[in-house]
Amino acid sequence: MKSYQTRQTVNQVRFNNGLTWAWSALFLLLSIQWQPVSLKMPLFYMFIAQFVFSILHQTLLKSVSVKGYHSEKKNKKVKLLSIILLFGIFSGNIFTFISGLVTLKKSKSTAFIYSIYMVLVDVLVISVTAMNVFKPFVAESFLTIMYVLISLLLFHSFILVFGDKWHGWHNNIKRIVLVLLALSSLIGNVLTLFVAVSLYKEGIAGQKGKRKTSIREKLVRNQAALLGLLFITFLITISVTSNFSFSQSFSESNNYNIILQEPSLIYPFGTDNFGRDVFSRIIFGAQISLSVGLLSTVIPLMIGGTLGAISAYYGSRTDNIIMRLLDVLYAIPGMLLAITIVAAFGASTTNLIIALSLGAIPSYARTMRANVLQVVNYEYVEAAHALGQGNWWIIRKHVVPNALAPMIVRATLTIGIAVISTSSLSYLGLGVEAHVPEWGNILRIGSKYLETNPYLAIYPGLAIILLVLSFNFLGDGIRDANDPHVN
Amino acid sequence: MVSKKNWIDRWTDNIQYHYKKAYQNKSWRMGLFIFGMLFQLIIFISYLIRQKKSGEKNIRDKMEKQFNESGRAEALRSQLENQEKQKIKFLNLNVSSSQNQRRVEKLYKEESNREISERVEAYYENDETGAQSYLQTTLDWLSTTGGLVLSLFLAWPMYLFLIVVSLPSLHYLIQRLLMMFFVIIGVTVIVFTLLYFSPSDPATNILGNQATPEQVENFRQLHGLNDSYFVQLGETIKGIFTFDLGNAYAGNERVVTTILRRFPITLKITLYALGLSVAVALPAGIYAAVKTNTTFDQLFMLIALLGISIPSFWQGLIFILTFSINLGWLPATYSSTNAMSLIMPTVVLGTGLMASVARMTRSSTLEVINEDYILTARAKGLSEAKVILRHAVPNALIPIITIIGLQFGGMLGGASVTEKVFSINGIGSYIVDKQFIPDIPSVMAGVIYIAIVLSIVNVFVDLLYSFLDPRIRSRVKNG
Repeated sequence: MKSYQTRQTVNQVRFNNGLTWAWSALFLLLSIQWQPVSLKMPLFYMFIAQFVFSILHQTLLKSVSVKGYHSEKKNKKVKLLSIILLFGIFSGNIFTFISGLVTLKKSKSTAFIYSIYMVLVDVLVISVTAMNVFKPFVAESFLTIMYVLISLLLFHSFILVFGDKWHGWHNNIKRIVLVLLALSSLIGNVLTLFVAVSLYKEGIAGQKGKRKTSIREKLVRNQAALLGLLFITFLITISVTSNFSFSQSFSESNNYNIILQEPSLIYPFGTDNFGRDVFSRIIFGAQISLSVGLLSTVIPLMIGGTLGAISAYYGSRTDNIIMRLLDVLYAIPGMLLAITIVAAFGASTTNLIIALSLGAIPSYARTMRANVLQVVNYEYVEAAHALGQGNWWIIRKHVVPNALAPMIVRATLTIGIAVISTSSLSYLGLGVEAHVPEWGNILRIGSKYLETNPYLAIYPGLAIILLVLSFNFLGDGIRDANDPHVN
Repeated sequence: MVSKKNWIDRWTDNIQYHYKKAYQNKSWRMGLFIFGMLFQLIIFISYLIRQKKSGEKNIRDKMEKQFNESGRAEALRSQLENQEKQKIKFLNLNVSSSQNQRRVEKLYKEESNREISERVEAYYENDETGAQSYLQTTLDWLSTTGGLVLSLFLAWPMYLFLIVVSLPSLHYLIQRLLMMFFVIIGVTVIVFTLLYFSPSDPATNILGNQATPEQVENFRQLHGLNDSYFVQLGETIKGIFTFDLGNAYAGNERVVTTILRRFPITLKITLYALGLSVAVALPAGIYAAVKTNTTFDQLFMLIALLGISIPSFWQGLIFILTFSINLGWLPATYSSTNAMSLIMPTVVLGTGLMASVARMTRSSTLEVINEDYILTARAKGLSEAKVILRHAVPNALIPIITIIGLQFGGMLGGASVTEKVFSINGIGSYIVDKQFIPDIPSVMAGVIYIAIVLSIVNVFVDLLYSFLDPRIRSRVKNG
């Protein structure tokens, strides 16, 4: 009989195995030039490296899935393979890195899993920021930021390696480490907060071996959700650090000497019709996409949630009035409402956020209403009434916290829709102002050069898809973690 | 002759029964009064005459007097006072005596009112007194042939109302249609208000800065821009229902004519996309649910997730790049003479719906498959195909229809993007083009008419529910 932990390990390795093979297949496809048929050599060497790692990974999967394997027992072959696979990260393969770490460590606490992704975010950010080295010049604070990032990487790696010795540390050291971790989230790497919370919770006496019930703990089982979280955190971090590490002049000032250049090391995604570096523009565009997406999710979440809660809690006439009014708003498709608002008040980021928020209010209100209707019937609400507590107090303390989980799931899943709507409107010329590097705007320019320079349209589109896909993976993961049927 | 009388009798009985039932509901009672105004007036007069005759002018006053005199009032008050005192003592509350007095007074009023009403009711019920309530007077009138004919003559709207109220499904339909009507008016108000408070001046937008004051004034006169907010709003609402919204600002064309010309192609693409996505997603989703956790399932769900994550304009561009520019199989832009040019827009528009329907189908089928009645069906020895197709799928259909109804709106809204990518002259691209001017009446009409189409679709989906789900059907029947 295999232990639960062994089973989890095998599942993770199997998941990574598929991704590793897909990753190497991607490089093979990229390395082939179709017309005329030939091979792009640097990419083909990359493919060979990936291929070797994939085969090694396959061997690891094989030796892990045999009957006699237990993740708790020492296994020389697995250990050796894991250590080799760790080096996959230098070839750009994060999946072998994850598998290697997972099979190397005996105890896999929540904090450990999150630390893996925390370190991966650091690695990704450093490698993307390092692309600036090839540019003619770099931003003033580039070096400082690089030092900060590398020292954070070292600190986080230390946590990753020695985090399981946490229980043996002195209390003061624990405190200092927690504070440092929390502080390091300031550059945008929110996963450090997850690690800090997990470490703190594990440190509390009596927590060990307890059933894992919170969403944070259950999410660890779902690797797709974690990968989504990885990409989102990476984008948040890069949008915070890019303000200091990327030079704005490449993304915003026109340079007619270098218009419409092919992708190269200096301009990884080429340049557009004004000679602006598309790579830098996409990096800066992450700020807009993320902030518009988050804001136009949080605002309707608050307003719609409040309206839904009030409407369900008070019922009868209040309910009728609020819901009928929202029905009217619901009858206008979000996209058309946004177009109407833009037609009336002009295209700008603020108007865009207002328009998207307004359109999303009814669906949040409906979700919240349904949840609250369910919660209101529970005994603890009746008990609170019997104790003479006021309506507001009951709503705040008993009803809303217990009705919030489906709202969070819904919010995570709709951030993706908000991101798509933002870029769609920008593509139509109705969203963010045209000069702002926003993904939809970049794509709009790219669509004009589809025949001659298709990469101008492809890369920003890929960025949008990856972001939306990440939010959807994360949302699905949170939903599953929250669903009693699945657990 | 006898049988005919029976027939009439049955009908009068029926009418009386439904009238009584409708009368008991407060809002329906209002309807009866309003729709049968003339007839009700006659009855009211006869009711007053009868009251005078029987000398029971104010039964309620009498009952109240009786209530007070019988000592019941005192008893009730002291009982309530006692109750409050007990409560305060038990909960250790700090309540001043005046506050307490007020509360007792309030409770007393409620209780005494209820009891007096009960007494009045009982008085009417008692045949010996000969007094009649208003309802009984009406029913008396209706039981005579003359009264019936008179009521039919004077109050036929009331009978229509009665029919609607007494047939649950018709009642539901009318209710739904009424709601739709109000939603349409609400949508008009919102869209109009948003555009009305636009800071830009349409006259200078259209005519340019060089326009003379006379020209501007003329323009404003022509489009009724000098009227007050409410007049303009009223004109718009009227225009929406009479299909006459005046001329567009730019280009001397009637707004509604243009919209009607542009609508068919959008509807065509949307419906094709709907058909395509249901045809692909439903079988695939069911198959994925039956073969849970197989490679097909996982791969298919990954593709579906990709499908909801892909922005349609990017998908359209990639399609054009691959199939038109690189491979040269399909035309990149739409032309009405070439049916092949519809393929790409349909697929692009349908992708989102396809993906969400597939996900929904899989999850709802999975939920149903674990129910007991599926086990029963298997135990009966039915074939797997029959178990799935006859027992699982119909029960899994409800949430799927919900998601289709919801996504249809998104599709009509999203059509503007797809239309722009493939340069189709549909309603979506019309709205987008006109908002750049900005041509207010055109944008408004486009948005409102799409919302109306959506509302109709929603009513249709709701009716489909009650048709498909026996639980909803029974809820409709029971009001």
